[in-house]
Amino acid sequence: MYAVLHPSNFFAQAAVHQRPELRKRPFVVLDGEPPTEMVFAANNAARSLGVEIGMTRLHAEAFSEVIALRRVIEHEHTAHASLHHVACMFSPRIELVKERPGTYALDIHGMDLLYGDAGQLANKLRQSVMTAGFLANVAVAENFHAAVSLASSRTGVSVVPPGCEAHAIGQLPLTALHLTPEHEATFAAWGIRTCADLAGLAETDLIARLGQVGKKLHSLACGTWPHLMFPIEASFEAGLVERMELDFPVEELERLLFLISCMTTTLLERVRGKARAIAALRVILRLDGGAQHERTVRPALPLQDTPTLLKLIQLDLETHPPGAAILGLELHAQSAVPYRAQHGLFLPQSPQPGQLEVMLARMRKLLGEERVGSPELTDDHRPNAFRMVPFAPPQPRRSERPSLSTPIALRVSRPPQMVGVALTNQIPVRVFWDGAAYVVCDAAGPVRVSGQWWSEANWCREEWDVRLENDTAKRLCRIAFDPRSRCWYVQGTYD
Amino acid sequence: MGSAAAIRVQVEARLAQRVPAALTLKIKQAPELFSTGIAEVDAMLGGGIPRSSITEVSGASSTGKTSFALSAIASITQLGNACAWVDVSDALSPEATAAAGVELRRLLWLRMSAEGGKKVKVTDKPWSRLEQGLKATDLLLQTGGFGAIVLDMSDVLPQHARRIPLGTWYRFRLAAEHARTALIFLTQSSCASSCATLALRCEPAAAVPFSSSGETPLFERQQYEFARERNRNEGSPFLQRKPTQRVSWPAETLWSRVR
Repeated sequence: MYAVLHPSNFFAQAAVHQRPELRKRPFVVLDGEPPTEMVFAANNAARSLGVEIGMTRLHAEAFSEVIALRRVIEHEHTAHASLHHVACMFSPRIELVKERPGTYALDIHGMDLLYGDAGQLANKLRQSVMTAGFLANVAVAENFHAAVSLASSRTGVSVVPPGCEAHAIGQLPLTALHLTPEHEATFAAWGIRTCADLAGLAETDLIARLGQVGKKLHSLACGTWPHLMFPIEASFEAGLVERMELDFPVEELERLLFLISCMTTTLLERVRGKARAIAALRVILRLDGGAQHERTVRPALPLQDTPTLLKLIQLDLETHPPGAAILGLELHAQSAVPYRAQHGLFLPQSPQPGQLEVMLARMRKLLGEERVGSPELTDDHRPNAFRMVPFAPPQPRRSERPSLSTPIALRVSRPPQMVGVALTNQIPVRVFWDGAAYVVCDAAGPVRVSGQWWSEANWCREEWDVRLENDTAKRLCRIAFDPRSRCWYVQGTYD
Repeated sequence: MGSAAAIRVQVEARLAQRVPAALTLKIKQAPELFSTGIAEVDAMLGGGIPRSSITEVSGASSTGKTSFALSAIASITQLGNACAWVDVSDALSPEATAAAGVELRRLLWLRMSAEGGKKVKVTDKPWSRLEQGLKATDLLLQTGGFGAIVLDMSDVLPQHARRIPLGTWYRFRLAAEHARTALIFLTQSSCASSCATLALRCEPAAAVPFSSSGETPLFERQQYEFARERNRNEGSPFLQRKPTQRVSWPAETLWSRVR
């Protein structure tokens, strides 16, 4: 048993859904690029004044009482979402009828326990749609196509008892069957006006003249053409959105966090219902002046607790604050399978993923983005070339250490410190560093290194390992001479 | 003696609500130790550096503090533990770290900002960097789960490091005990005082002359010397001052490995 919900003149209804005061007044919906806009939809009041679909904007504006509206695709999406939401309340199996915009077919088999018989259900469905702000026809029939034809052609609620489909749609005009223009012209030439006329024709004769399409049209007119239903599979991910408009601009993040906390909790409840966790949370702040501020919080592992997610959002927004007062906010979540790990009793300890994530966010706020992470050596000849990568320790695992001798560590001066160097026979003999004079006891070098000679970022230097000594201190350093700037620098100290 | 034991039991029973086992000597459990990766130092320390407590390594420049700490961190990361290096002077060399055998993916490196990248003199006041370093260490200890944390203050002058309140070190000691983390301080002069379970002093050793076997002289190896000033991990329940023990250990440059 199918119940079909058809909002007549859907595009016009969608255009004024947010502005109900326009419903009683004549209006047209214009679509296209200026100045070649055309009338795309019009309400009955405008049609009665003489407005037709396909008129140009200038023609439509000639009617002084008619209000011209621009087509907004988002409004149509919102209207679709509202109707979809209402349809979902009456049946878990619904299908969108593609050839008729805004029309939904509901499989109501077994729903009588909840909503009463077919007539009661149809009335309740129509009532709910009207409460949502749409005027719709509802038809209930055993045959899907018969129900669609009835809903699109007959106003109000129509309920067809099983087996009476042919009789019920018999008086409908042929346009109810959604024919192609060629077939419409053919049937008009034959003098066939209603579905009953078409159903009265012999099927074999119709096939002989129109081909296999004839069989389909004959069955449609008889209300016997079968239909395989493909219910809409609601996208879970697309529904993980929370929006909120603020009554007045908010500048303090603390006040905003209260709202974000509620929205995050709502999202988490939805996600937990599917035994999943939040893998990423995108926060979009609509700012005063029309700009948007977008931040994405992506924990290393999917999380299921609000406080951790809220703390991560807070730290991220504090590190990257919006430039103006906030007028509205949106939260888009991305779900993933929750993290589960079997820890061993005898494995080394490692930081808890949630706590680690919050700690890293705090560190990034304290020190800066580029100063927190693990070092990773890059494939470069330049000494001490590295990049910072996010800290994500692998699973605890023992590894064998190669039995090598202990290397001497170099403590790098960042940035290199400039020093004065006295040379004898091209060998450093004295170094003046931070106001102290050192005697060079031992010097090894020069080691000439260079790189990237093919680009503007080329570099070269002569490096010396020197043992420095004065009355108070002894140091073992690496100093370098840059021939381009003709300066000596301390690269680092061996320690 | 029997009556003395009975009196002790009575006193303990009376005080049990307020002070459990008031007159019974606490049996100290042997601490868990992390090997430092240097056989000579491990032999002197009886196995390595203690977990859940503070180890302070102090000494002037070029006395082997960083080489020692990197070697210890390498051993700890190879056990599968995550470690952190709080770099107050932003002086850690990733090349030297990798050469020491540290698993870089298990190392969290926190680089304190050097006052907006402007040139910093040794004598400049390092308050903001020190404050950042202490705050970062606090956060790491609160998070827990790290096998070892190195607070590298090697380039902070002693007069600046000594101005850190003693309460900070006490707090760190309790937090390290709670988080079961080996907290290693690298400083120019000892500042954690009695909070450090193990205190090592790095002393200048005899200079090894540069090798001159090739065309040009080459810096190949260095000898370092450590003196153990305090070790609270030793078994005796009675606190008594032990004589300072010394050990000398070698380290060599990367290029001498290739030779």
